[in-house]
Amino acid sequence: MKVRRLTSRYLGPRSLAASGSLLLLASCATNAPQDTWQPKGPNAKMIDDLQQPVFAVAGIIGIIVAACVGFAIWRYKDRGQPIPEQTHGKPALEVSLTVIPALILAVVGVFTFRAIFDLARTDDTQLVINVTGQQWWWEYDYPVQNEWGITQPIISSGQLVLPIGTKVLLRETSRDVIHSYWIPALNGKRDAVPGRVHTLRLQADAPGIYAGQCTEFCGLSHANMRMEAVALSDADFAKWVANQQAAYQAPAEGTLAKEGESVFLNQCVRCHQVSGLKRADGSLAIAAPDENVWSGAAPNLTKLMTRNTFAGAMFNLLRDACRDDVWRAESAAFGEKYLGGVDESCLNVNDLRAWLRNAPEVKPMYANPALLTDTNGKYRGMPNLGLSESDIDKLVAYLLTLK
Amino acid sequence: MFKTGSKLFLGLSGFAAFNLVAYVIFVERLAIGGVALSLVFAALTGLAAIVLLINEGDNERQPRDAALIGASLWPLTTVVGIVLLILGLIVAQIYFILGIVVVLAALAEWLVQAWSESASDDPAHNESARQRLLHPIEFPVIATLGLGVVIFSFSRIMLAISKSAGAVSFIVAASLVLLIGALFALRPALKPALVSGICVIGAVGIVAGGIAGAGIGLRSDLAEAAEEGHYLHRECGVEKSKYFDKKAMKNLSLRSNAAAIVELRDGKLSAIMVGFNTPQQLITASRANPVTFIFRNFDPTERRLVASLGNAMAGAPAAESDGEEADHAGKNETCTQLIPKGAEQALTIKYNKPTIAQTEPFTLTVPGVAGQSIEVLVP
Repeated sequence: MKVRRLTSRYLGPRSLAASGSLLLLASCATNAPQDTWQPKGPNAKMIDDLQQPVFAVAGIIGIIVAACVGFAIWRYKDRGQPIPEQTHGKPALEVSLTVIPALILAVVGVFTFRAIFDLARTDDTQLVINVTGQQWWWEYDYPVQNEWGITQPIISSGQLVLPIGTKVLLRETSRDVIHSYWIPALNGKRDAVPGRVHTLRLQADAPGIYAGQCTEFCGLSHANMRMEAVALSDADFAKWVANQQAAYQAPAEGTLAKEGESVFLNQCVRCHQVSGLKRADGSLAIAAPDENVWSGAAPNLTKLMTRNTFAGAMFNLLRDACRDDVWRAESAAFGEKYLGGVDESCLNVNDLRAWLRNAPEVKPMYANPALLTDTNGKYRGMPNLGLSESDIDKLVAYLLTLK
Repeated sequence: MFKTGSKLFLGLSGFAAFNLVAYVIFVERLAIGGVALSLVFAALTGLAAIVLLINEGDNERQPRDAALIGASLWPLTTVVGIVLLILGLIVAQIYFILGIVVVLAALAEWLVQAWSESASDDPAHNESARQRLLHPIEFPVIATLGLGVVIFSFSRIMLAISKSAGAVSFIVAASLVLLIGALFALRPALKPALVSGICVIGAVGIVAGGIAGAGIGLRSDLAEAAEEGHYLHRECGVEKSKYFDKKAMKNLSLRSNAAAIVELRDGKLSAIMVGFNTPQQLITASRANPVTFIFRNFDPTERRLVASLGNAMAGAPAAESDGEEADHAGKNETCTQLIPKGAEQALTIKYNKPTIAQTEPFTLTVPGVAGQSIEVLVP
């Protein structure tokens, strides 16, 4: 009796209507960068063109079936009437109910297979990018492709930069566990599996930033393993490529940034590579993530300040106002704003300092020294380096020069 | 005092004691067999004691409804399970797990049987009650075990006979199943005994074949291939194996993993990579992650692919990074075996350091083919 009262009180028509309204309103969100129903490229559009009619057909059939079941329950419920005569089978009805769904599925199947094969094409690729997943960030490396001005491999992380209107092929793999790459506005999901190379086509129609999320549970910070695809016009992409390949510029002597470079060489270079960075003796500083990190890799920080994110795209390098300025820019102005990178006035210094102060505190990672016996002394993620506030000041100043 | 039951168990326990003493004296002291026989002896003695305590066989004290109680194998099965369980603590985990399963199953059966036998005065009703409760569990379990035995036996047959005989056997077996299934469907009036007989004969035939197949072991090519380690031919010497990486591209996992297919054709070496529409002379490989190259030889001479790994310890065959040893005769390189025209072989490498750390570039070359080299860039 009590249960019935509670049920009628909390699950009454008004509660159900309120819940339904909330769901309906939630579907009307305008700021939904990972909405699967808003394709921004031909590959995602192909999926959308398939899922819209299938969703409609499945929805109509679902409603018809639910209505039939409801009608049968209501019409033939036990009212004490005699059991009707039992007959075996009704061939015409049974054949119809088998053939009609089979035909519907066959039609859906034809279009689905065509879309699958079209999405699996690799022979029309215009730009290849290698994508490697590891706990909990994505690495992007651009193989040498002279037609794009890429004369030496470019390596980046956090944001995938691609030219608009170009058939880009991602060659995905993983260094540790299975991850899954998904930027809903540009295409469907594709698993990144250790020991395998999977391909995924991407193409963006217009300049802008398209958000994504790892969709295969991959450990403690799976939910924080994000990605952003940045689409630039051909001219802007060429500028980006040229800048990524530009020589390393050491900070001026006597500056705080120069002191930060020393801190970087003493601490960070054990895992993080900055191309062109040299030690005091003039030798190149070569990072050794394979000796310190379980996955064997740490983000390459060359040109860090040309990206908008850090720590596996979990945190923004730009303050909210500056980030909004880039994200909401018109197509024509987007490239210029994005290529402007991060300067001191726009740097999200609070999150960056918190990260440098104690990374595992702000992003869950297996970076506790007590757990290192399980990984042969190697970290899963960035450990707490125990930097002083003074060192952090210097490092921030140095990182700002990497652009 | 001593009736039939107690005499039986006392006799069996005496026999077990005799065997135990003989085993300890003539075979081995403190061996596993001794432990097992000790447990058997203890179990049988325990059963004899129980029988004596409850005066089984004493007609004067037989309960009124004794006729309702049938013979039961479950006490004995439980004891066997306990023996397995204790043996498993000493020998291997698998026996322990098996013992737990046997004990739990036997106790469940025993409990339900005991409950059903006191359900009513009608033995038929009691048996029906037991069946209604246990058949939905017993039948699927027995069917699964039976199917498992048949499938395992069939796999032993297929591993023992040649490839062509295997294909023929599979076709014959599938055809027989289809024909007999069709016969059963078309003749629903067949006697159940005949249907059961055919099924039992088939199953017994497969199990017997499986036992024979297990006795014969793997066919020769499988046995030789199993003895070869995948990474045991890293010496870049003259040795070659008939089965090593045979038809690499037919191996699904290698095909999916190939970073590039390196072809030697008309004296030229080139790399074919997914996404690139023309053959390449430059490969960009991920750092600290195993990459696999498939080498295809279209040259009339036997050739091998050699990968230089830059400075010492900069790169390593994937297996070495897992702790295996390899001898490169002082050179920091790894290679495929010599393969004839039309053959192909896989080479898996893990480049731990980037190209900028090298004084010599990472390359892929073929000895004897001058002027042909593919550079591997590791960012």
